[in-house]
Amino acid sequence: MDSVPGKPQQIIEISGLQVHAGPRQILRNIKLGIPGHSAFALVGPSGAGKSTLLRCINRLVELTPGLRVSGEVRLHGRLVTGPGVDVDELRCRIGMLFQQPVVFPKSVFQNVVFGTRHHGRVHRRDWPEVAERALTEASLWNEVKDRLHEPALRLSVGQQQRLCLARAMAVDPEVILMDEPTSALDPRSTEAIEELILRLKTHRTIVVVTHNLDQARRVADWVSCLCVRDGVGEVAESGCCSDLFEKPQVGEVAAFFRSASRYAASVEGPVTPGATLE
Amino acid sequence: MASWAFTLLAGAFLASLVAVFVWQGLPAWRQAGFGYITGKQWFYRQQIFGTLSMIYGTVAVSLVALVCAVPIGIGAALCTAEFLPPKPRLFVKVTVELLAGIPSVVYGLLGILFLRDWVYQALTPFDPLSGDTLLTAGLLVGVMILPTILSLADDALRGVPALQRQAARGLGLNRSEVVWSVVLPQAAPGIVAAVLLALGRSLGEMIAVFLVVGRQDNQWPESLASLRPLISAGQTLSSKLGGSETNIAYGDSLHWAAMVNLGLLLLAMVTVVTLLAFRLLKSDRHA
Amino acid sequence: MRKARNIAFQTLAALCAAASFGVLALILAAILFRGLPAVSWRFLTEQIRLVGADGGIFFNLVGTLILMVTALLVSSPLAIGIALTHSIYLQSAILRRRILLLLYLLNGVPSLLFGIFGFILFVKYLGWGKSWLSGGILLGMMILPTVTIALVERIASLPRAYTEAAAGLGLTAAQTIWSVILPQSLGGLVTGSLLGLARAAGETAPIMFTATIFAGAHLPDGIKESPVLSLPYHIFILAQDSFDPSVGAKVWGTAVVLLALVCGLSLIALPLRLRIHEEARNG
Repeated sequence: MDSVPGKPQQIIEISGLQVHAGPRQILRNIKLGIPGHSAFALVGPSGAGKSTLLRCINRLVELTPGLRVSGEVRLHGRLVTGPGVDVDELRCRIGMLFQQPVVFPKSVFQNVVFGTRHHGRVHRRDWPEVAERALTEASLWNEVKDRLHEPALRLSVGQQQRLCLARAMAVDPEVILMDEPTSALDPRSTEAIEELILRLKTHRTIVVVTHNLDQARRVADWVSCLCVRDGVGEVAESGCCSDLFEKPQVGEVAAFFRSASRYAASVEGPVTPGATLE
Repeated sequence: MASWAFTLLAGAFLASLVAVFVWQGLPAWRQAGFGYITGKQWFYRQQIFGTLSMIYGTVAVSLVALVCAVPIGIGAALCTAEFLPPKPRLFVKVTVELLAGIPSVVYGLLGILFLRDWVYQALTPFDPLSGDTLLTAGLLVGVMILPTILSLADDALRGVPALQRQAARGLGLNRSEVVWSVVLPQAAPGIVAAVLLALGRSLGEMIAVFLVVGRQDNQWPESLASLRPLISAGQTLSSKLGGSETNIAYGDSLHWAAMVNLGLLLLAMVTVVTLLAFRLLKSDRHA
Repeated sequence: MRKARNIAFQTLAALCAAASFGVLALILAAILFRGLPAVSWRFLTEQIRLVGADGGIFFNLVGTLILMVTALLVSSPLAIGIALTHSIYLQSAILRRRILLLLYLLNGVPSLLFGIFGFILFVKYLGWGKSWLSGGILLGMMILPTVTIALVERIASLPRAYTEAAAGLGLTAAQTIWSVILPQSLGGLVTGSLLGLARAAGETAPIMFTATIFAGAHLPDGIKESPVLSLPYHIFILAQDSFDPSVGAKVWGTAVVLLALVCGLSLIALPLRLRIHEEARNG
């Protein structure tokens, strides 16, 4: 990544972000800058609020009843938190991929053009073109081009997840948020998604939450590690991917990396070479 | 073993209920044949038993009830299930379910003392004979089934996974678009089942209807499309069967059979509706 | 355009909700406004006099309670039996669905038909005349689906680990049912029964031909020819000649008492129901 200068241009800036669920605090004083045209990974132990943080960026967090968010999130320097922001417009610019593929019980085609259709910016006769472009971008076109009008639920789980990605991209967002996008997938589909992230990040910004540190190393340019301090999630350390993984400065982060790699080794065994960090 | 016996007992109860209605009603079928259903006249002293006018009354009352209650009930369910935050939603739902339990005789009382007069006043330009009309009964039943529709439709809507909504919102759709394009299509079977169960209730409702429908026999309308018969008195299957003629009829086997058959017709209509609703609920939580 | 449609749709839905809520609140207010002045200790403890124009509704209240207790005694064992058959003994999904269908069909039978059926079977064929017992049995059968389905849902929400732990301890199926499943699912039975009874208390049609008369009955002293008075039938008869103001006050008072009974029962069931709902959502 030599094209990235020392202080890259950040398209998303988060500062002073706090999330409370009733009396309990979930995230404390989050400060993050996410550079454009790159992949940014959020890692950390479970329960640290990674998904919540991710959902603050497109304000999907507001759909969970009982959560209170304060602080600032800026996209291209423009404030997107607080009242007066067109949330639906914001979400057109920031797409989202969930842990499990969430396909609608409609046909493959209907799924892909689902967002586009409602935004009304593309004429109906251009939908097939949009669908083809999005499906191609998600490396799914060849597999589904003959079954565009079959129910999407008949696809395999891996295909469904790529369909969801295509659906998000059909709206042409600049940022795509991914919440553990491969945790429900088999190794082959996981590989496909990772390849996609590598390809997409050349012209879009990817923010990916993952529990798989190797995945973060493989796909991300920048990493932020969240930690739980007295029950509340905080950003412990952020930085360039290689630096952070090689020389974590914060003790908690180093400890998390050690335990995570031990866990990965014990679960996955020696299947993935170079799984350990040492 | 006792469990099986109890299950069989419940089944036997239902079976014997149906059997008794069929068996006791046989003489009327022998005498009137299909005329029992297609005949518009009912004069028991002349042994003329035609129920079409009452079938019309039952259907008319139920339709009026559905026309009033379905749009408002579903709209309100959309509001509680999709737009309200959890706490107000719970409050509305609990209150509505409490009100669903108001006995029909109390609704009947309200109908007799308020609704009847209101309808009479509202219809003055059309010169009605009284406030006891099919319309009054339909409105009253509509209010009665409103909580049922609201509550069951709310359940059906809440049955659609939250992730589906989040995914659609994540694509930049607004709340209404999510409701129309994601939630409603998936909740549709449950909502239709809710409407059908409410229809079943309104077809069989007797007490409230009895008190405000006028109980006028042989009110076959000149034109089925005409709304005029709605604002005159009528008779439904249930209001006939619940009336004093049932007491008179016992002892005269033909007349009694004709009365019991009203119940059989009602049972057939309600069973069809229930079966349809049950089929739709197949994919729901009980599956 | 999209925004306008969004706002319009949400407003419309909110109006529907406000309308439903408003109508129902109005109904409640009207009943309370008319009826509360008539309710007094005397009203609850005196006998009916002057064909309902004077006196109280003591024996109507007693009669309704007798019918409710009978209905409870009839429905509970049946509900437990059916729920156990459905949830524990039956392994075949098709048969389970048959039982569910049976319950739905029974639930759909108009209450009037229970009355006519009871009239033929109990009043005439068995020769009981009007009797509290036939009313209680009919009401019990009528609320059976409500009770059973509440119980079935409760059993379904029990963690599988419970039964497996019990089986692991070497308990027989019967012991598991008695010591684990039934105590744990008691809540469902109670909730279902309360909701069912709330419905049974207000039903007129099943009992008007079989169990209840307007005046002249006290405590039943047998089965044959021993009718009771009841609240809903009282309202039903008085409503038909409620133009006499003194009768009017009494009928509204009776409606308030019946409503209090019905809503009281559903309110008691409420916390339990909400908890079961939550567990079903999260589980």
